[in-house]
Amino acid sequence: MPNAQILVNWLLIGSFYAAVALGFSLVWGIMNIVNLAHGSLLILGAYVAYFAFTALHLNPFIGIILAMLALFVVGWLIQYIAINRVIRAPLLVTFMLTFGLDLLITNLAQQFFTANNRAINSSLAGVNLTLGAIVIPVQNVLAALIAVLLTAALSLFLARTRTGNAILAVGMDRDAARLMGINIARTYALTFALGAALAGAAGAMLAMTLQFQPVDAGQYTLFAFVIVALGGLGTPWGALAGGLLFGLATTLSGSIQAIGPGLQTTVAFAVLVLVLVLRPRGVLGKAFYS
Amino acid sequence: MNPSTTSAREGAPSAPEQAAALLAVAGLDTGYGDTQVLWDVGLEVRRGEVVALVGANGAGKSTLLAAISGLVPAWAGAIRFAERDITHTGAERIVKQGLIHVPQGRRLFPGLAVEENLKLGAYTRRAGSPTALATDLERVYTLLPKLAERRAQAAGSLSGGEQQMCAIGRGLMARPALLMIDELSLGLAPNIVDTILAAIDEIHRHEGLAVLLVEQDVQIALERADRGYVIENGRIVSTGTGAELLRSTTVRAAYLGE
Repeated sequence: MPNAQILVNWLLIGSFYAAVALGFSLVWGIMNIVNLAHGSLLILGAYVAYFAFTALHLNPFIGIILAMLALFVVGWLIQYIAINRVIRAPLLVTFMLTFGLDLLITNLAQQFFTANNRAINSSLAGVNLTLGAIVIPVQNVLAALIAVLLTAALSLFLARTRTGNAILAVGMDRDAARLMGINIARTYALTFALGAALAGAAGAMLAMTLQFQPVDAGQYTLFAFVIVALGGLGTPWGALAGGLLFGLATTLSGSIQAIGPGLQTTVAFAVLVLVLVLRPRGVLGKAFYS
Repeated sequence: MNPSTTSAREGAPSAPEQAAALLAVAGLDTGYGDTQVLWDVGLEVRRGEVVALVGANGAGKSTLLAAISGLVPAWAGAIRFAERDITHTGAERIVKQGLIHVPQGRRLFPGLAVEENLKLGAYTRRAGSPTALATDLERVYTLLPKLAERRAQAAGSLSGGEQQMCAIGRGLMARPALLMIDELSLGLAPNIVDTILAAIDEIHRHEGLAVLLVEQDVQIALERADRGYVIENGRIVSTGTGAELLRSTTVRAAYLGE
């Protein structure tokens, strides 16, 4: 494979990985919840986009918006019904709760949607730009641009709006935020819903560019975890940096013949272990917004 | 006990006083988990009044403020503010009524800029127009010019004195009727304390802001207060005007090293 092709593949998959981790990083940073159901929310988003395309014949990019809206609602409900009850409990309790949610969603998805591999085969799916020997899939480029756009939008929302600042304030000091008159339960619901909506967007991108099935959920939670460990639990740009770093690891290892693309999850684990041993705060990591 | 001070152990103030009170705490018990910190605490602040709450480290001063602002739930007793019962009202809803708590240790949002911290102080005033927000920001910058210089800087990078200014400014942004300040002077140079107190005094004199000042520095607090309360081991043990308490032999012996 020519080096330029590796570069293109890296940027495309790296941006997708950023989208995978964006919502996970937000929820962890603000609420101190490691959301083990993140991957299953992502897969739900993939199904929303898939059925929007196959049943409603909607453009896959409209499917991204639909997936975000649907998952926003799902996230809000999960937060209000379940997570708000244990928000002051130790980390292990939210760990168990989101793990249970992950199993529940994955199994329901398997029950209703079967374990078949799915993918959206839109008219754009086979369209490539070719530059000499380099092949650039148009749909993946658009998905990558949307991923970067979502990162920028989230970053601007948090930094520049009243509600965004309130979310950051809650993440930094919950009691002080209450003394500003910020409603913690509502802010958490909004944060979790946004995290789920971003997972939904990543899921829709997954449906457009790769294949998926319910049991893939765990793999994407793992990816999100590694990406956040790489980029650090900081700003949305940390998720993008982590996504690109993780993309670099998987693309390079996939292009090395002795390793090959089949060992992606192994590479993910190896990278995670390396980072945790060498730089526990992440390669670019700094403490959350401080 | 010094004859010039009256015991407040009974807690409940007399009826005419209660009618005029902006904040009235009566018979308050509270604590954390199984540990009771406050016993039968009674305290009141009238409109436009400066009241000092003094006592040793661990006497329960901060717990009392946290109970009033709704961060710590009351076990027994009643808290009324502006003729409303707020005993079981959540902290975020008490803020809207104009009762503002500047907590010990400043508790700024370290990663946010000074101006963003100040704007969060006005968070509940959603109805207020953007011009009202800008006017209030200018007012805080005029009172505390140091904050104007630092407006774009992260609050976490400020010096201790500047952080306290930012915390007070953030409290003022809520347009409070009563500002409760926990340990204003702790760890600050005297000239910084004077600057901050002068700013608060300005709002107090011109807009009738009531202040509940919690201090370990008894001299600073009682000199400026209309009235004061002394708290020991979770109980109010003495109350009187600021001048009376400063003259009191027990206060002088216990807190001023005489």
